[in-house]
Amino acid sequence: MSTDKERLYQERLNRVSKALNLEPVDRIPSLYMGTAFSPRYMGMTQAEFCTDPDGAVDVTIAAMERLGDVDGINLMPSGCHPINLSNIWLSKVLIPGQDLPADDLWQVVEKEIMSVEDYDFIIDKGWEAFKDKIIPTVVDMNMNKVHWDWVISSFSGVAPKFRKAGYVVAVCAITTVPFEPLCGGRSMHKFFLDLYRMPDKVKAAMDVMLPSMIEQGIGAAKLGGVPAVWVGGWRTASAMLAPQIWDNLVFPYYHEIVLKLAENGITSVLHWDQNWTRDLGRLRELPAKKFALNPDGMTDIRKAKEILRDRAAIIGDVPSSLFAAGTPDDIRNYVRDLVRDIGPTGLILCPGCDAPINAKPENMEAFVSASREFGTSVG
Amino acid sequence: MGKSLTELVRDLEETEAVATVRQQLKDGRDPLTILKDCQAGMVKVGEKFEKGQYFISDLMMSGEIFKQVGEILGPEMKGAAGPPAGKVIIGTVAGDIHDIGKDLVVIMLRSANYEVTDLGVDVPVQKFVEAVRQTGATVVGLSCLLTTAFDSMRATIKALDESGLRPGVKVMVGGGPVDRKACEYAGADAWGTDANVAITLCKEWI
Repeated sequence: MSTDKERLYQERLNRVSKALNLEPVDRIPSLYMGTAFSPRYMGMTQAEFCTDPDGAVDVTIAAMERLGDVDGINLMPSGCHPINLSNIWLSKVLIPGQDLPADDLWQVVEKEIMSVEDYDFIIDKGWEAFKDKIIPTVVDMNMNKVHWDWVISSFSGVAPKFRKAGYVVAVCAITTVPFEPLCGGRSMHKFFLDLYRMPDKVKAAMDVMLPSMIEQGIGAAKLGGVPAVWVGGWRTASAMLAPQIWDNLVFPYYHEIVLKLAENGITSVLHWDQNWTRDLGRLRELPAKKFALNPDGMTDIRKAKEILRDRAAIIGDVPSSLFAAGTPDDIRNYVRDLVRDIGPTGLILCPGCDAPINAKPENMEAFVSASREFGTSVG
Repeated sequence: MGKSLTELVRDLEETEAVATVRQQLKDGRDPLTILKDCQAGMVKVGEKFEKGQYFISDLMMSGEIFKQVGEILGPEMKGAAGPPAGKVIIGTVAGDIHDIGKDLVVIMLRSANYEVTDLGVDVPVQKFVEAVRQTGATVVGLSCLLTTAFDSMRATIKALDESGLRPGVKVMVGGGPVDRKACEYAGADAWGTDANVAITLCKEWI
């Protein structure tokens, strides 16, 4: 490994670690996140990106090198992306090159694949048994084999590859609360009605699932060699759910996962899309500096800062719409305001959720340069 | 004394609300009056949503109740519901197959007595134009979940422009990533974060 790259890596790792620990930084770190943007930016099709896990890693690193001076990546690529999405949401994913034109974005199909009776199956036979039954109905099994063979042979080599290029991997894998795969499997509309009609049954299934979701996070962090995982939230957002549902079927599970991951030395990055403002106060119940909040631009990040100032870092949150429809000046102003209001400590600049496939390259470049300009001036 | 039908709908008491509708129908109550009580409940649901007392899941539950009520009362109404509050075309634009947000808007608008033509998902640009021409709708709602669909929204509005229909039509856009910036990019008249905003906009425009 080049000494220069290793020195750069150590400098960046130190910066990111300090930000996560709410300590002063020499400059505010910035992370890249642009899953589908990377291949588009570098001339690879989405079909190739989805079917070639090593190529996906290489093209992501190449995109980061072309963009300039970022400290690392939020979530590293980890296999055939559609398979990862199907596992999180128990849903079929339309795949570029198979179901869609080769350079189109993959799309999750919102369809009921799990019946009400399946709650009993999960309760009686367990979550893993249910997944064994259902996964073959939602994924391309050839791609599934490619994915898992690659995970066994190559997943642990991804973070070292980024390190060799001088980049920090902040997070190596995803887990989530039981709500999310159930919501995907039942389909959102049906699942939300279940929450009113049979909350006890849903909760019983969730309780059975929880240990697997925790183990998924611990196992991935150990295998990936990065002690941080996303604990994702999409349909569990506060804006989506009545408080009595959120208090009963959402937050207790996040709480338990964060605690268990922390016991294993793993930081939970709450990668939370949509608007969570209503319930941000509950985050003070989580262990300080053992988690970070990663909102997507819809949560009130300034309120989050007020609440989490002495508890957790915030990673975010330049909105995807701004990357797609805005201008470099819009991006610059957004980053400037983030640094002013959320920095200088406990902030890691990052695209909210994931910079989209149609992010304008000049906007991504503006994000990187603005992060350096404003992040350094306060450091 | 038990709750009124309006209160049952407002409080999302599905089983009781549906049973009450059936009972009132059996007792010979005018179906149109029953429907109006349920619509009043849906208005209360919208008010609670606006006040931050209800959330998306509550809207979905209320929509489900209203759908069941509609299925029970529909055959009894025989066109007695009177003229709609207005005509609206809704669809998820080309290149995007997501329908949850769009479906919720459709249910809420119908509960507020709007005649909604739901074009479905991945709707080609010209289909919106044809639908406006055929129905005489004065509001078009474009939905998407993907930022790549911003271009489809823009193309759809451009097609309305080129067809000469645009002056008589207001266009609202919505969906996960849609914000002011996306609204401006697409050339829409307004954008919304939720189904209730769609009703508010239609009330303003029609």
